[in-house]
Amino acid sequence: MAGALPLRLVFKNLFRHPVRSALTAASLTVAFFLLCTLQSLVVTLDAGVEDAKSDRLVVQSAVSLYVILPESYDAKIRSVEGVEGTCRWTWFGGYYQNPSNFFAQFATSEQTLFSIYPELSIVEGSAERFMSDRSSCLVGEELAAVYRWKVGDTVPLIGTIFPRTDGSTWNFRIAGIYRSSAASVDNRTMFFHHEYLSKSLEDGAANGPDGVGVYVVKVKDGADVQSVMSRIDGLFAKGPQRVQTTTEAEFQAQFVSMVGNIPFFVSSIGMAVFFAILLAVLNTMLMAAREQTHDAGILKALGFGGRTVFLVLMLQSLALSVVGGGLGVLAAVGSSAGIRHALGSMFPLYEVTTETTVAGLIGAVVLGLVAGLVPALRLGRLSCVAALRLEK
Amino acid sequence: MISLRHVTKRYWRGGQHLTVLDELDLEVRDGEFCALMGPSGSGKSTLLNLVGGLDYPDSGEVCVAGEFISDIPDSALASWRAETVGFVFQAFNLIPVLSALENLELPLLLAPLGRRQRREHALHALELVGLADRAHHRPSQLSGGQEQRVAIARAVVTDPALILADEPTGDLDRDSADQVLDILARLNREIGKTVVMVTHDALAARRAGRVVHLDKGKLADRPPENGE
Repeated sequence: MAGALPLRLVFKNLFRHPVRSALTAASLTVAFFLLCTLQSLVVTLDAGVEDAKSDRLVVQSAVSLYVILPESYDAKIRSVEGVEGTCRWTWFGGYYQNPSNFFAQFATSEQTLFSIYPELSIVEGSAERFMSDRSSCLVGEELAAVYRWKVGDTVPLIGTIFPRTDGSTWNFRIAGIYRSSAASVDNRTMFFHHEYLSKSLEDGAANGPDGVGVYVVKVKDGADVQSVMSRIDGLFAKGPQRVQTTTEAEFQAQFVSMVGNIPFFVSSIGMAVFFAILLAVLNTMLMAAREQTHDAGILKALGFGGRTVFLVLMLQSLALSVVGGGLGVLAAVGSSAGIRHALGSMFPLYEVTTETTVAGLIGAVVLGLVAGLVPALRLGRLSCVAALRLEK
Repeated sequence: MISLRHVTKRYWRGGQHLTVLDELDLEVRDGEFCALMGPSGSGKSTLLNLVGGLDYPDSGEVCVAGEFISDIPDSALASWRAETVGFVFQAFNLIPVLSALENLELPLLLAPLGRRQRREHALHALELVGLADRAHHRPSQLSGGQEQRVAIARAVVTDPALILADEPTGDLDRDSADQVLDILARLNREIGKTVVMVTHDALAARRAGRVVHLDKGKLADRPPENGE
């Protein structure tokens, strides 16, 4: 019986200073919204790396990702032992109607795209139509939804790296809308024929560097990936362009690190936010403990043990943190679609995952426990006489 | 009901030991209404704290309701208090965020009662002190006399054998003090509760069946010269 908990007292103490409790809960809400959002950005950045296939390699210039490779390398790479196929990827860098309508566009090998990327499937239109029409394109379903495009529409793009010589737009007919089942390819990208780009450059219809950005290589089943990488690098060791072959995961990680050590930076901000809000809640609980010291003495005089007194304050800390933090987590989940839309092509895969949601809720519980521990222990251990002697 | 043998209590104050109770012996019988009087610092409240199991003596034995409570560990002493003692304090000591009824339900959480039974017991105790119509008022919405009557109701709601009152009329006007003393006297006379009351008030002490004087931590045969 000594363990009976006066839950009504816990509840009423939370509203002893309603403004203070509301402000603390609001601070927690903002902090946990920020924490979950920042964590989701890190998760989004890492998603491409985690979903990268181990049997896909990326061949890029050994000098820089911005240095293009000759088209003649395609056949040579395909001839390397252990290589099943290649797919060209060249960054197009155009925009639709005005520069703010920016999304990723790649000139690619239409014949091998689907065999090298089995995670891609056509949800509208057809792959055959895409392959047979040189000026057609594929768009991701999220991209199509943003601009309300449908199969058969023409998408005019203004080239920045590859401007057309007559100043006109590049026009691509949508042959299909794809969906990617893995984070290695997002659903906000446009693919078109590499041959269309090459031919336009060759004919003088467009200006720009002639070549291929990177070659994506599919390794045959059972082939030793490291050996294949070494053979490809060795093949071009004497030029004309030396290459660097990496696994797709390494390539994605390198791509992320190009924009700085964002995961570390964002995680550091997250930790700072967590620590700051911990101090704020600790301060609130210390004030609450000071105010409730006399009540603790009364409880003990009535026959409640130190454990009950400890739990009364601890539950207040937990309730405040879980409600405030939980609202923040819910806000992050609820605003996920809006944030993804606002971030646009920068973070097309942005989402608050279940893991992030659970981690956020666990974080709120941990924060409540840590913030309440010291004040509650002090109150629980205080003698009844000392607590009652304190001025109300 | 209460038996104290050679009880000594010292406090460490201002860098030196202060002997508040010095080899004190005291007996209080079952059903007795005993007033403890003495000047400030004579050890009255300390004695009450020891009898109520709120504190331990440095030496000697404290036996209350057949239990040597000076030997009971702190964790078990809380349960003993809940079952045996009801406290009434000078400053009322009601929990400010709870209503009168909720303050009375609090000690009943430690008894094997359901929610409805707790409410019935609490309401009955409020009726006993004439405050059933103030059940849902918070302490800040009650007068001092009403607060003290609620505190008395809380002290008896679990039906303890012993009521310890530490200057229960100290913060009250004469009329309110009389009402409180009437209730304590009735609890003693009609229900048979043993009441030990610390007081500076000679009028209040007259309501008790026996007056014990304390001076410098010892029992005194008569009030000390300074008149308290």
